[in-house]
Amino acid sequence: MKAKDIMEQVKDYYLSPDDTIRNAVNKMRVVKRDDGIVGLKGMIVLDSEGNLIGMVSVKDILKAIIPFYMTMTELGEFTWEGMLAEMTKKVADRKVEEIMMKDVITVSVDAPLMECADLIVKHNLQRVPVLNKENKAVGIIYVRDLYNAIVKVLLDDKEVHNL
Amino acid sequence: MTHEAAAASQPFVMNTTFWTATTIFILAYVVIVSEKVHKTVVAVFAASLMLVLKILSQYEAFHVEELGVDWNVIFLLIGMMIIINLMRPTGFFEYIAIKSAKAGKGDPMKIMIIFAIVTALLSALLDNVTTVLLLAPVTLLIADALEVDPIPFLIVEAIASNIGGTATLIGDPPNIMIASKAKLNFMDFIYNLTPIVIILMVVLLFIIKIVFGRKLKTREELKQRIMQMKEKEAIKDPLMLKKSLFVLGLVLIGFVFHGTLHLQPATVALFGAGLLLLLSGTHEPHHYLAEVEWPTIFFFIGLFILVGGVVKVGLIKWMSLKMLALTQGNLFATSMIVMWFSAIASAIVDNIPYVATMNPLIIDMAKQMWPQETGLALLRHTDLMPIWWSLALGACLGGNGSPIGASANVIVVGMAEKAGKKISFMRFVAYGFPIMLLTVFISMIYVWLRYYVLNL
Repeated sequence: MKAKDIMEQVKDYYLSPDDTIRNAVNKMRVVKRDDGIVGLKGMIVLDSEGNLIGMVSVKDILKAIIPFYMTMTELGEFTWEGMLAEMTKKVADRKVEEIMMKDVITVSVDAPLMECADLIVKHNLQRVPVLNKENKAVGIIYVRDLYNAIVKVLLDDKEVHNL
Repeated sequence: MTHEAAAASQPFVMNTTFWTATTIFILAYVVIVSEKVHKTVVAVFAASLMLVLKILSQYEAFHVEELGVDWNVIFLLIGMMIIINLMRPTGFFEYIAIKSAKAGKGDPMKIMIIFAIVTALLSALLDNVTTVLLLAPVTLLIADALEVDPIPFLIVEAIASNIGGTATLIGDPPNIMIASKAKLNFMDFIYNLTPIVIILMVVLLFIIKIVFGRKLKTREELKQRIMQMKEKEAIKDPLMLKKSLFVLGLVLIGFVFHGTLHLQPATVALFGAGLLLLLSGTHEPHHYLAEVEWPTIFFFIGLFILVGGVVKVGLIKWMSLKMLALTQGNLFATSMIVMWFSAIASAIVDNIPYVATMNPLIIDMAKQMWPQETGLALLRHTDLMPIWWSLALGACLGGNGSPIGASANVIVVGMAEKAGKKISFMRFVAYGFPIMLLTVFISMIYVWLRYYVLNL
């Protein structure tokens, strides 16, 4: 099995760099998988030509909401009720481009699953975009997809593939 | 013959070596001012050129006080940085800041005044950048809590830190450098500079009150956010805090008596750093040592060698002769020129390279004026002292003149930008420049009255 065999198709589940955080959250919220709305906690960012230029996860959004000065020292005890909401409103219209993670770790469609597993563990990732030969993002592998692959190995001998 | 005497009698010819050293020196300063290359990189590279081209020998650069690295400055800075690095995680500075905000009852005006005083006090004891870096995050949090513009707070803190830092030997790098070169001790600074700094702070507080008095308003319920903060929760490591305060206290006592005890300030600071490292029980000093601001340290090292090169070839002596020709040996005029020129220069360029150049220049000038004197009698000549104080006052207070005039300003502008509130060059100048002019003007009257009229 290769990356392309377990990845989720990108379809139209991606953000554009000009999306605001508000838009991004909405796009992520309404993602459907199989037969219901599941929502996503992270999405890739594609430019107008479909090139992968970044990724946004819930953590990136939280980082944008938390004032930078709080990261400089321990100030958590001195925050107040309603501060998160206030700060969230302040960043609602900031662009995805400003908050996205730009150095995205990717794999190719033909990457072995071990490579995907290795990257996910080494870099503490939740998802890895899969690129085709033209360097366009065609899919995403989630931790869950790898887990499903493992489950198949462990629980059903007949399903064993060349992991 | 001592090295000092050797340096004084250096042949002074405008040969190839002279012009090579001068060119390296000027080019380095131009590139530093242009900020095209990081200043530390420029200083270290230019210093290495002085050595490779044999303008200065390595021995002179490392071991001759007149020409090379001033290790007293280097180790004083390193020692204090290590102490602060060990102290920072205890949460002491956050505690002080929150406590101050509560002492102001959540009123923005009162908080600004108290923060200005706290910043000045801390800056007098620690370096300005550290003080501002420690206080600014809490300032931004408090401004958000009170829903007021943080920019006036940040600018006031930078200004207060530059004024407060002027008060002591350890408060600001120019003072550390001047003290080491002129063999001035901690108490000399307390007697001569602390009084004027207190006057300047009172003036600053009045100005703050007049400028911001009516503008800074907040709502009662927002004040409650401040009053509900429990400053004790800031203390992360009470035991380490006690050890840090003990050592810091010891170090301060050491500074007060270092003249009497014949211990250099760097010795006191290194003792404090060593003792606190030992008391902390750390098995990984790596972290505390790595966090020393090595770029700053190497900037100093590079500058000392760079300046040593032009001292050796006689450029500085030539400049001192020009300056004497200009002032006709009038000491009062000299100290006024030194003060104002230092202030303007420090507002435009980094005051560290400026003072690194001025120190040997003033010593050279003194040698021309009192050729029969050497050593301490020369460096601490009664008539020379007001010139050292004028240099310190001009170089430190000049930093307030523009956002790039002092490191504390650069930090504050950077922090504001990160917080999404840009401080434009002119907005800083609008606050800083008039305050610089006023504080230098008051200092001028002080120097004139104290040293030339009352002869105190």
